[in-house]
Amino acid sequence: MIRLQDVTKVYEGGTVAARDVTLDIQKGEFVFLVGASGSGKSTLIRLMLRQEPITRGQIWVAGKDITALPNWKVPYLRRSIGTVFQDFKLLPNKTVAENVAFALEVLGRPRSVIGPQVEQVLDLVGLDDKGDRYPRQLSGGEQQRVSVARAFVNRPPILLADEPTGNLDPANSVGIMKLLDRINRTGTTIVMATHDHAIVDAMQRRVVALERGVVVRDQASGRYDAFIAGDVEAPPAIDNDAMEEIVPDQPDDLGEASA
Amino acid sequence: MNRLANLIREALINLRRNVLVVTGAVLAVFISLALAFGAVVVNEMLRTNIRAWQEGTHVIAFLKDVDEGGLTPEQQQELKAEVETWTEVKAPVAYVDKLGAYEEFKTWFSDRPELVESIDATVLPSSFRIELNDIDQYQAVTARLDVNPAVKEVKSLGPQIESLSTLSRVLNVLGLGLALVLGVSAVILIANTIRMAIYARRDEVSIMKLVGASNWYIRVPFVLEGLIEGLAGAVLAVLAIWIPSQNLSGATASIPLIQLTISNGFFLRWGVLLVLFGAAAGVIGSLLGLSRYLREADGGAQPGAA
Repeated sequence: MIRLQDVTKVYEGGTVAARDVTLDIQKGEFVFLVGASGSGKSTLIRLMLRQEPITRGQIWVAGKDITALPNWKVPYLRRSIGTVFQDFKLLPNKTVAENVAFALEVLGRPRSVIGPQVEQVLDLVGLDDKGDRYPRQLSGGEQQRVSVARAFVNRPPILLADEPTGNLDPANSVGIMKLLDRINRTGTTIVMATHDHAIVDAMQRRVVALERGVVVRDQASGRYDAFIAGDVEAPPAIDNDAMEEIVPDQPDDLGEASA
Repeated sequence: MNRLANLIREALINLRRNVLVVTGAVLAVFISLALAFGAVVVNEMLRTNIRAWQEGTHVIAFLKDVDEGGLTPEQQQELKAEVETWTEVKAPVAYVDKLGAYEEFKTWFSDRPELVESIDATVLPSSFRIELNDIDQYQAVTARLDVNPAVKEVKSLGPQIESLSTLSRVLNVLGLGLALVLGVSAVILIANTIRMAIYARRDEVSIMKLVGASNWYIRVPFVLEGLIEGLAGAVLAVLAIWIPSQNLSGATASIPLIQLTISNGFFLRWGVLLVLFGAAAGVIGSLLGLSRYLREADGGAQPGAA
């Protein structure tokens, strides 16, 4: 679904944010990009979205080399990728429903289609009763759920998340992760940059660790920290049941919404 | 169709939600265009007045009486016919006989009866009132009349009219120059105001790009906004000049010397021009203001893939 080949990104001033990164992400995978601040996680996400020029290497998204994509086609690339960011990036002067509908309006969908689809996805994220609120009237966790709803409303094959839980408390973080997990189960490929140890450890998905722009570890069903074999015993994994207990009131009628 | 309706709805919602910035933009357009339009209108008023002042009698030739060695009234009529053939002179030449001069004198000084009584009908000379085709030629005409033995005295408004012409030309250049400067500053003000409005909403632009909006999808609401702001400001400017000037011309209609009435045709012509100018300035201002933010949000050139 996404393939990075020798991706190198050097910013003006010589900072190397990515060095010869090669990654192959399959359709339907859930991949964590982990590493300290400045390790290059966000840069990779930005490069996949064509938000900045690449210095060297190639990135294929859904079989297309996006590094060779002409500028006028970039909007089409972004329509096939849902995005969730740490700062939510909601339009403050639009209501929750309008924010979500916006992603569909951009595609030129008729309003008769937009209305029910927005309702459905707000239902999915558990905000069906808050469609006419403004973002500032919501908690951080609720705002992030709006942004997840917006990212998913047009059912993109790929969802990129850059520190989606960075501004949230643990309970809300778990809520968002459950949402992303559910979206992933509909077949959506998810790449998530994070430095939240607990979440990575609990989810037990593929982990790609970065250090100063270099991939230092790529592990299926991994944990946040690497363990040197035989040195210490790995701490017990937190499974999804534990997450259920933290946030027991999650809506559970997502099956039909994601069908 | 649906998409267009969405875009227009979007533009209107944005206008409603950004009342302060929108008011600023409309005011900027309004003030600069009103000033420019005012300069054009004042210029036109001066032009019509100077043209009006230039009309009428330019040269008066007072004629000798018969007892002063002058011509008989019949011969004076012959001389009048001759003067009318001169190329500089606009026919017909008005002839005011001695009685006519006395009547004229009486009306001029009707408030000073003692002055009227001191004069009797035989004292005032008869005269030709001559209008010229081109007032610049007054000197040739006065010189020719001066040497005519039947002419007692020649009076001319030439020097005054000449300086008036010069004044008119200077005012024309000044007025149009002022209108031009104000027009240019209108465009800059509009572009700047809209740029500021867009700067305040750059996050919105970047979010629009993020969810895959094409550049034109992002531009259209802003351009519509600019168009509406430019139109509103220009229409207000036209009305702000037109309505007071109508009142002014009504109030000064009784004053004969100054004429402040300007034809509706003039207002209509310039009004349409001004409204089009405002609309164009709004659109161009929006496009200029947006271009940078749109370019920034794109991945730009891809040196590695080139």
